[in-house]
Amino acid sequence: MSPPPPSESVFTSWVEEHRGILVKVARSFTGSPADAADLQQDLMLQIWMSLPSYRGQAKPSTWIYRVCLNTALTWRRGTARRERLVEPGADLGRLPARGASPAEAAGQRDLLDQLYQAIQGMPRFDRVLVLLMLDGLAYREIAEVTGLTENHVGVALTRARKRLAEMMKGAADELE
Amino acid sequence: MNWSDYEAAWKRQELPVGIDADLPTLRATFEAKSRKMHGASLVRDLTEAGAGLAVVGAYVFFWWQLKAAGWPMAFAIALILGLCGFFARERFRARRLRLGADAPLLAKVEADIAELRHQGRLVRTVWAWYLAPCAGAIAIQVAAILHRVPSWNPLHRPAVLLGFVAFFALVFWLVWLINRRALRKRIEPRLDELEKLREDLLSGS
Repeated sequence: MSPPPPSESVFTSWVEEHRGILVKVARSFTGSPADAADLQQDLMLQIWMSLPSYRGQAKPSTWIYRVCLNTALTWRRGTARRERLVEPGADLGRLPARGASPAEAAGQRDLLDQLYQAIQGMPRFDRVLVLLMLDGLAYREIAEVTGLTENHVGVALTRARKRLAEMMKGAADELE
Repeated sequence: MNWSDYEAAWKRQELPVGIDADLPTLRATFEAKSRKMHGASLVRDLTEAGAGLAVVGAYVFFWWQLKAAGWPMAFAIALILGLCGFFARERFRARRLRLGADAPLLAKVEADIAELRHQGRLVRTVWAWYLAPCAGAIAIQVAAILHRVPSWNPLHRPAVLLGFVAFFALVFWLVWLINRRALRKRIEPRLDELEKLREDLLSGS
């Protein structure tokens, strides 16, 4: 028997409320704005398709992280570009920074670009951990998303942060 | 630069405009994917069940033609029905064990690895659970016919019998080859990828 149709209002409000997760996951797991847009579309589709199985056992954000990261970890670039859900002009590669002067904003943008570049160069699970950590999730929440124990999350995060710091060393020198 | 700087930059990043969900497109994509998936699944199930039932029907016909002497055909029918049952069991097993995209990452990766390993085992042993029962059923059928109508059957001629055996050997070899290719090209690379993922996830050093 096919699952009941997903609730459109729940879907719309969740995507609106948590669109930052989709944008960040898409950008962290792809190398170009076009791929990020493709992945973002797949993330939305996967959320839509998985919504009937949501039982309220996890917070919506935790659930969305799981769906998005599971999808991103196994995502492959499609051979044919699908119709975009983003405006063709929307440049996902260079997002502006909030509440800063033009010079500060440019600096922020450069730092963000370097940060994303470093994340994209990391092993895929390190990307997951760094992304969740940068988004401010507690160890317990990261453990819920990944299925690891909190202790393991702590150890793995230390490693991932160290790796990110090494990758950002050159970038930071450039920025400073 | 330290972690706090990264966190601050990360939290200050502005989200791009124009990513709002386009529900009609999503619905259409979802429905198209569902239709495609259900269609493919239905075709596969019908092909497997239909082929099995067609062979069973043919064997029942042979048995009926051979009358009492056709009793060995019961074994051939049992082999084919067993094979159909095996396919059905596999289909239910895969559906029961499949984890959704909302499962924790480690659980999802481990479930996918387990499923791929299982598929790999099936492909490696295809000769035992698929080719051998088919060959057995064909051998029983031939033996039953030869036993019942020794004077008529052209398979009594060694050249014809050899050609018959060579034909089925070739078909079975091709089936085995296709399965090996699927193992090499699809299952093993995917398994390596997922095992690497799990290793990354579990390595704390």
